[in-house]
This record gives sequence, structure tokens and C-alpha cells, in this order.
Amino acid sequence: MQETNMLTQIGLEHYLVLSAILFSMGMAGVLMRRNLIVLLMSVELMLNAVNISFVAFSKFNGNIEGQIMVFFVMTIAAAEAAVGLALAVSIFKRFKEVNIRFFEHLKG
Amino acid sequence: MVDAFLFWFLAIVTVLAGLSVVLMTNPIYSALSLVMTMVGVAALFVTLEAYFLAGVQLIVYAGAVMVLFVMVLMLFDLKHELQAFTRGKITGGVKIASVGIIAGLVVGAITLGTKALELSKAGAETSKPVVDSTKALAENLFLKNVFGFEALGVVLLVIAVGTVALSRTKGGTHARD
Repeated sequence: MQETNMLTQIGLEHYLVLSAILFSMGMAGVLMRRNLIVLLMSVELMLNAVNISFVAFSKFNGNIEGQIMVFFVMTIAAAEAAVGLALAVSIFKRFKEVNIRFFEHLKG
Repeated sequence: MVDAFLFWFLAIVTVLAGLSVVLMTNPIYSALSLVMTMVGVAALFVTLEAYFLAGVQLIVYAGAVMVLFVMVLMLFDLKHELQAFTRGKITGGVKIASVGIIAGLVVGAITLGTKALELSKAGAETSKPVVDSTKALAENLFLKNVFGFEALGVVLLVIAVGTVALSRTKGGTHARD
């Protein structure tokens, strides 16, 4: 009975666990990948996971403020993508490469 | 029952697409998987009755941001990628383990905190009816949070100018030095 309940009754915790899984995958991407563009994509994945949990809290608490926060997160994410990609373009012009293995000029 | 089926279907699609963002070695496939993830997240917003946010998610992420990503990928000409993942089995293992620990902590905290949420839900049920959520959203955004909204406008302007300034130094994207 408990198992079927968990499968058919979708509650807040389902969305939160999904959000946690997506966030962890994004974090793994940031830690493991070496392509600058894929790093930025993984950051976007993490921001989306946070958005899911904001909207889930907003629905299950009956409070609209969470959706406002999602607006702000989306705007900041778009700005972050724009700046990150501009930096990637200028890095590519400098090094002819987007693999972070080759950016060693800041090493002491 | 339909809700449950929709949630599980969308969750599986979103998680698989997110996994392929991280695991694909060709960046263009990663970008396409990210589009799929964004669409899945937008559909999850629909199941959470945030219809306007679902639309914004589709337009801003799946539309604008992903087009930006794909355009920059086209500039780079990355057909094959040398060493897509980090080197070193030990550090890789440490990274995967830390991610797993974080995920386990979060999921454990959620399952432990569910009881506390259940207790506080009784008080929240009274303020539940957000039927016309787009109207409520607009009222909240333009009356209560109007300062944040304007500040975001300023941030976007600064970002736009900064991005143009950053990518136009020394001949823009077509510089050959």
C-alpha cells in the first residue's frame, strides 16, 4: 500500500528529489567536463533544477513569491550565459581552444 | 493517476536528457540534450500550474539561451573533442563520490523534512487558491517586487553592453592574429 501510494501520489518531495538529482548531474558536469561550453551548459542545468524546486515550493505552499524568484533566476541565468559565452569567444580567440586543460596562464 | 503518470514520464525524460548533457562527448549533442531538458522542465512547470513560467522557460531558455549556445558552438568548429572528461581515475572518483554524497544528503534531508512540511501544510492550505496565477504573478511582480524588477533591467543593460564590449575587442569574432 505504501509503495503504490508513493508511486501515484505526487507530492512536494517528488519534485524536490527530481530537482536534487538534476542539480547533482549539473554539478558532476561542472566537475568532470573540460569543455568550456559544456561547463556553462551544466551550470544552466543546475539553475533549472533550482527553478523546479522554487516552483514546487510555490505550488505546495500556495505562495506566489517562489515564481517571482524563478523570474529573477532566469534573468540572471540568461545574463550569465551571455557573459560566459562572450568570455569563451575571447578565450577561443586567444588560445584557439575551449578545453580548460590549456588555460594555464593563471597558474603561478 | 494522470498526474502521476505525467510526472514520472517527464521526470524520466528530464533526467535522461540531463544525463546525456553531461555524458555526450560531442558538444552539439550536449546542446540538443539541454534543449530537451529545458522542454521537460517547462512541462514540469505546467504540471505545477505555473503556466506563464512554462511559457517564459520555453521562450527564454529553449529559445534564446540555447540559440546563443549553438551559435557559439558553430563559431568554434569542434568536431572532435580531445579528452572530454578530466584526467585521473582518483580525482575523478573523488569528484563522483562528492557529487553522490551531496545528492544523498539532499535526498535524505528531503525525506527527513517531509514530516515537518506535512505539519506546516495545514496552515498553508487556507491561503491555497491561486487560480489565476498569471494575474497574481503580475501583481506581485509589478507592485511588491518592482524594485527588483527595475534592478534586473539595469543588470541586463549592463550585461548587454559588457558583452558587446567584450566580444568586439580586437576585431570581434573574426579576428585572426
